[in-house]
Amino acid sequence: MYFQDMVQRLQSYWAALGCIVLQPYDLEVGAGTMAPATFLRALGPEPWNAVYVQPCRRPADGRYGDNPKRLFQHHQLQVLLKPAPKNLQSLYLESLKEIGIDPLDHDLRFVEDDWESPTLGAWGLGWEVWCDGQEVTQFTYFQQCGGFDCRPVSGELTYGLERIATFLQGVSSVFDVAWTEGVLYREVFHTNEVEMSRYAFERSDPKQLLALFDSHEAECERLVRDCKLPLPAYDSALKCSHIFNLLDARGTISVTERAQFIKRVRDNARRCAASYLAARSALGYPLCKTQWRVGLQPPILDGGRASEAWDAIRVDANAHENLGG
Amino acid sequence: MGNLLFEIGCEELPASFVGPAIAQLTHAFESECDKVGLTHGPISSFATPRRLALLVQEVSDRTAAVESVAQGPSIQAAFDANGEPKIAARKFAESVGRSIDRLDRVETPKGTYLSARVIKNGQDAPVLLPQILGKCLRRISFPKSMRWGDVDVAFARPIQWIVAMLDQAVLPLAFGDVASGSTTFGHRAHAPGPQPISAPDGYEALLRDAHVLASRSARARILAECLKEVAASIGATSVPDAALEEQVVDLLEAVHPIVGSFDPKYLKLPREVLIQEMKTHQRYFALASSDGRLLPKFVAISNTQVRNPDVSRRGFEEVLRARLADAQFFFDEDRKLPLAKRAERLTRRTWFKPLGTMDDKAKRIGKLAQVLAIQAGVSGIGSELERSAALCKADLESGMVGEFPELQGVMGRVYALADGEAEAIAVAIEEHYLPRHSGDALPVGNVGALLGMADRIDSIVGLFALGRKPTGAKDEAGVRRACLAVISIALHHNYHFKLSAILDEAYALLEPMLASVKGASPKEALVAEILTFFRGRLATVFGEGSKPDIVDAVLAAGIDDLAATRDRVAALRGLSLSPQFASLVTTFKRAANIVEKQARQVPPGPVRKELLGKLVGSGAEKHLHLAIEAQREAIAAATIRGDFVGVLAAVTELEAPVAAFFNEVMVMCDDIELRTNRIRLLQSVAALLSNQVDLSRIQST
Repeated sequence: MYFQDMVQRLQSYWAALGCIVLQPYDLEVGAGTMAPATFLRALGPEPWNAVYVQPCRRPADGRYGDNPKRLFQHHQLQVLLKPAPKNLQSLYLESLKEIGIDPLDHDLRFVEDDWESPTLGAWGLGWEVWCDGQEVTQFTYFQQCGGFDCRPVSGELTYGLERIATFLQGVSSVFDVAWTEGVLYREVFHTNEVEMSRYAFERSDPKQLLALFDSHEAECERLVRDCKLPLPAYDSALKCSHIFNLLDARGTISVTERAQFIKRVRDNARRCAASYLAARSALGYPLCKTQWRVGLQPPILDGGRASEAWDAIRVDANAHENLGG
Repeated sequence: MGNLLFEIGCEELPASFVGPAIAQLTHAFESECDKVGLTHGPISSFATPRRLALLVQEVSDRTAAVESVAQGPSIQAAFDANGEPKIAARKFAESVGRSIDRLDRVETPKGTYLSARVIKNGQDAPVLLPQILGKCLRRISFPKSMRWGDVDVAFARPIQWIVAMLDQAVLPLAFGDVASGSTTFGHRAHAPGPQPISAPDGYEALLRDAHVLASRSARARILAECLKEVAASIGATSVPDAALEEQVVDLLEAVHPIVGSFDPKYLKLPREVLIQEMKTHQRYFALASSDGRLLPKFVAISNTQVRNPDVSRRGFEEVLRARLADAQFFFDEDRKLPLAKRAERLTRRTWFKPLGTMDDKAKRIGKLAQVLAIQAGVSGIGSELERSAALCKADLESGMVGEFPELQGVMGRVYALADGEAEAIAVAIEEHYLPRHSGDALPVGNVGALLGMADRIDSIVGLFALGRKPTGAKDEAGVRRACLAVISIALHHNYHFKLSAILDEAYALLEPMLASVKGASPKEALVAEILTFFRGRLATVFGEGSKPDIVDAVLAAGIDDLAATRDRVAALRGLSLSPQFASLVTTFKRAANIVEKQARQVPPGPVRKELLGKLVGSGAEKHLHLAIEAQREAIAAATIRGDFVGVLAAVTELEAPVAAFFNEVMVMCDDIELRTNRIRLLQSVAALLSNQVDLSRIQST
């Protein structure tokens, strides 16, 4: 299965369940969680169900395109369901079937992983999902975001697209993944890896980055404090986060300074979260007035691929539905 | 009587939670039943990552009726002068459900009171059990728990279903968004649908048919058998690893081994790295040949009986291949810089903030270890101590330890050897981290042992000064563990040194850093506090083989020499088994009591020989004095030899003279001079024991 087909299938699956398909957020982020469609939408009482691909940049992971698995930029397929449906694990396993990963063919396991983002003041509990020993997805029930309790609890799925594609196509290097007929991942992104690594490790200008960090930080504070504009403020917080990652990769931050920088980013993320919650409350939580919930039954795509076992699982799901209602 | 099944079905629990959770659930059930007097037969427990279950045989149908006597108001309070009942009498009668004329009277030392026999009826098990089970559910506590959906309950992971059945009947209870029923679920891949349970007894068999091995112990046994069988089938043995086996048991509901292999070129990596790569990240079992060498093979345990094992095997192998390639990369990179050069980077690595960098710490360790060596009488290793102290933390700067923190020390040894450092130094680098946990191996060589003690004493003093001492069960900085390690190493190597002097020295080395710490205790207070803490740990260590008062009697007399303290405990334990021990204790306690009571009136001073034996003709006084002189020398000599059995033998020799003294001599006589002199005689008896044992701590039997 080609890389882009795999992405499309996953998106179609979640779209058919009732998620909106968003486009990637157009700022540099280190993880799909940081995009406002996850970090901010996980806050407050309003429902939210979205799927989107998010390019994630992790400067310190850059390897000049020489390492078969580590990348400066990789892609996550991010799903956020709020509230998390009771049968989210089953829905997730069904989504894997959509891309040809059948639980009877692979050792699929939910292995404890406590997720925490010190820069976002966010944490949750859940798992790494393993497929034959390979981590393919991060599965998290958010407990806190920006220091605020998540009520209701969101379920977040983060599919590591490069890893899954490498696995599915049976190649050992991400650069050998076929993006589509006749085009390899290498041809699309290898130069990007080389240039970005060179920039992050050798050519970025630490002095200028430090200045940029300070000014975006100040801007974030100002936008929250004086303007009550959480969304633009959060953009500034994201920029700070990325600049910090660049400085970190460049090796200009000492161990003690590092903790200090993380705290500065976190403080701003918290301010944005508080401001966002206030803004939504002022609007009267408009999404609460909708009936937006994802289905509990996986959609039948691709001419009826839903599993034989589903009938049984559906009984289970309905039982919970009745109880919850 | 009926059989009870209680199953909590949840999303995958963390492996380390499974064991403690099922133990708590079992215990909670027993104690909740006890509280209400509900009797039951044997309990079988079942636990997998997806379920915690109890099967209880022969739960009684109802609790027994309980009869008790309720006491009411006194007669005076109950009736007025005319014998008419007052409000108190009416209220009491109402509360026990009787009319006033049918209440009893009871005589008490305080007078006559109204009373009534009350029979509390038994309660039916089906009524009690839902409450009991609900309480059990809430009594399970986890290191970390979570909320889900929009309900306000918490558990380690979301609960999906609850089975609660007494024979065929469902016991109704609810937890958050889940209500109890009689339906369980089987293996995620093989039997994902609902599995109705017809009777509690059939639970284990039903799940077995649904591809789940519900019993934890059965799973452990089958895993061990599988590993043995699979390894034997290719002429190998699996490298024993009990911790990994336990973890894997709690990660699975079924056991399906798959053997994989990796490129033999990676066998050039250190064995520990290979095992760590397989174990930590992948939970694979390493395989070795009959002569113990690692083979380029592993066993992965799949939770699913996959249709084509080759597909899974390829996956397992590919993940490991990538990891080993990474490890090879780190190893090659690390080898580009000798350890001695790498150590220079420690100047940039903070340890605990005000206490400086790892480089500062390594330097302090070196100096303290030298002092320890001198004190402990270990000579001829000065240069080795210096070199290994300089290198012992350097591997923290290596890529491999960055990736696998648990390989610190191991990589130090490997890289030191590769750099051409002496074997003793390489070994010491690894050994200074031992023991890593209780029950772990101890350093064999003096260099590693002394470095390890110095490292930990530096940590203990520094962390106490920062106020990061352990409280209750909390010990985030590992101070308690460090303390126990110092004790085990000192005892194992039989090092004799003055602990207080070493703590002073450690403090002196830390002093420049501590200057900036606000509110740090002064040195004397800090050292005293740490000694008290050590005393607590010693009580635990020695408490395993001796009665608490024996240990306490020794510790109260001083712990400054750890190894000697152990020998003193052993000697006293030996003596305590002898028949004259009780009278010995009584005699010396009596002497000690007098000394203590007269402490203010009679300050310590020399015995005046010329006053001995005056007034009273018997020689008991003189005799005791001579005996003290003789045994003082014997005790001093035995102490120097470290012969504490000898010390106590000498003390025993004193018993008869002291007892005779008490029998024949009046200590508290009217003549002040004589009285003072006799008390001083007893003081010198007490002084002989003062650094050895405090017999006043011995409980009389």
